[in-house]
Amino acid sequence: MRRLAAVDAGAAVRGLALGQKAADATALVPELVVADAEPAADAAALTALADWCARFSPAVALDPPDGLFLDITGADHLWGGEGPMMADLARRLAANGLPVRAAVAGSPGAAWALAHFGPDRAAAGKEMTAALLAPLPIAALRLASEDAAQIARLGLTTIGALAAQPRDPLGRRFGPAVMRRLDQALGRASEALEFRRPPSPWFERAAFAEPISTPEDLARAAGDIVQALCARLETAGHGARRFDLAFHRLDGRAERISVGLALPGRDPAAITRLILPKLDYVDPGFGIEVTTLVAREAEILPEKQASFTESGDKREDLAPLIDRLTNRLGEDAVWRAEAFPSHAPERAARRRPPLSRLEERGWDPERPRPLRLFRRPEPIEATAPTPDDPPVLFRWRGQVHRIRRAEGPERLAEEWWRVPFDRADPAKARDYYQVEDEAGARFWLFRAGVYGASEPPTWWLHGLFG
Amino acid sequence: MSRQARLEAVRSQLIVLQGAAGRPVAPFGDARVDACLPGGGLPLGCWHEAGGEGMEIETAAAAAAFVALLAAPLARCGEVVWILRRDDLYAPGLAGLGFPAERLIQVCVRDEAEALAALEDALGAAGVAAAIGEVETPDLVAGRRLQLACERHGATGFVVRRRLFGGEVPHGGSAATTRWRVAPAASEPAPGEPGLGPPRWRASLERCRGGRLGAWIMEQNDGPHPVRVVADLGDRQLDPPQSFRLAG
Repeated sequence: MRRLAAVDAGAAVRGLALGQKAADATALVPELVVADAEPAADAAALTALADWCARFSPAVALDPPDGLFLDITGADHLWGGEGPMMADLARRLAANGLPVRAAVAGSPGAAWALAHFGPDRAAAGKEMTAALLAPLPIAALRLASEDAAQIARLGLTTIGALAAQPRDPLGRRFGPAVMRRLDQALGRASEALEFRRPPSPWFERAAFAEPISTPEDLARAAGDIVQALCARLETAGHGARRFDLAFHRLDGRAERISVGLALPGRDPAAITRLILPKLDYVDPGFGIEVTTLVAREAEILPEKQASFTESGDKREDLAPLIDRLTNRLGEDAVWRAEAFPSHAPERAARRRPPLSRLEERGWDPERPRPLRLFRRPEPIEATAPTPDDPPVLFRWRGQVHRIRRAEGPERLAEEWWRVPFDRADPAKARDYYQVEDEAGARFWLFRAGVYGASEPPTWWLHGLFG
Repeated sequence: MSRQARLEAVRSQLIVLQGAAGRPVAPFGDARVDACLPGGGLPLGCWHEAGGEGMEIETAAAAAAFVALLAAPLARCGEVVWILRRDDLYAPGLAGLGFPAERLIQVCVRDEAEALAALEDALGAAGVAAAIGEVETPDLVAGRRLQLACERHGATGFVVRRRLFGGEVPHGGSAATTRWRVAPAASEPAPGEPGLGPPRWRASLERCRGGRLGAWIMEQNDGPHPVRVVADLGDRQLDPPQSFRLAG
């Protein structure tokens, strides 16, 4: 059976409502135009809208199917207050043809209640919240429908009436979920929102009177906004490891740039230098009206003390190079190898950020390891006289290598604790040999499988010694 | 001025021009090699090139091991940056050669131009004692840029010639201060010991600005310098590797 999933203002005036049967609705309003609901497309549109809202606050949480939470803590002063900010948001959405109801309150629960059931564009301060919520219906509490129905059966129709009841019997009767929702609405309990990006207090925004698009303007805008945020970081004695710059275009899309630092920093010149090469990839479209900058992974960074001796922190010397390389090549392209306690050769060296403190573990010097380790072992044809002997010759990439000396075997078993129990196979052990051919080249070979098993063992080349 | 005196004057001018005088060096601790090198050791604050032939063009394992050992003493005074186009360098293997792997920063790049740019960047950065790049071969302009980057903080550069998919590496002019050809050589374990001895290389100095050429058999060593000269192959043209055998 088809039911109405959404109605617009015109349909509502003619007496259509959500959940009505589509057949009844067409009977009531013969000229009705019905379109199929597309929940997936609605969700995608809501996500796009959430990204668009990043120009108002970096912390945007989805409230499906049709709502958004914006955490505007520390951002509203850029508009001169909550009221003007809300008005600007609503005006822009309306200009894009999106009818909107908005509310500002001290807690997500109160804001939700006011936006859905309260006066439109309500801005509730801390003291006014309870008074504004009191006349709203129970449905404004985001309760499960059976809870709401049970409360209604008791004759409690407004939040004010519910909140006036003695707390203990209420909790016993309706359970903790109802009490939590009530507390969240009244700002007595906190609520964790799932922001699309974690909120950061280090947020800066610059709007332009005229849209900008030339590369010089973009560079200047980037420099200015970095300067502004770094000045705030400096005052607060903080530094950040990551700076996300977004250029919000006239058509609602955003072009994002992000730069990372190996050590927390707040030097505007250095950060701008990392941003500038990436501006080439920013497509300004018809123009950019707003830029936003968020500093992430901020931590306390004390004033740098000018050192009189040369024995400064080596990591600080190195940080600019690491920053340049990682921002040009990608974060996983620059690393330091750290010993990892695993006997599987592929996992024994783990990549770590170059300036992090490494474990002082090291590798076992008694176990020979090659200088070059192939990502995938290459199959070779080997001739080995007896089980457990190294091969006497093998062919790799069409060349025959006669083996002059060899060491081994070193048996490495499969890490059975990392595979499902029923898939662990003792025959997957590898016997590694270090062999030297007649020219002196050294190879790291292994035999996979054991003699006498159902399949004959195979030989592989896993690495080269220098 | 006599002909001899004029020659001397020109020679001293050349040394000044080439910047060999007064430059710090890292001696091998063996007169047979050090006598060939200008200033009595591997010159620092400039860049060197090493490569091999045959399959080594593609894998560059011997050259990488040799260069790692040359760079190992430098790691005491700073970081070593290793620029790779294929991330097959295995830190436990380097540690096994005696290279301080905790001082090593590995950088994986996508193409030749990025490798050269990253190498130049690393050489010119503070806190970097040596930078090693696995590239095909830098042309004269790139080589000159590497040299200028080396001179900024006195870092020493190494180019490991490597062509990822094989083929001939063009042997053009090179701005390297020294150029080595490195091939593996058959090892000799100590008498009575089973298995393999320390790895050996046939290292020939093919080009040496302000010095002489030479060829040696060198061996990895736990002594003061990580490589030890086993035998002097003299100034002659080397035999092809197949026909060369050590006794035993």
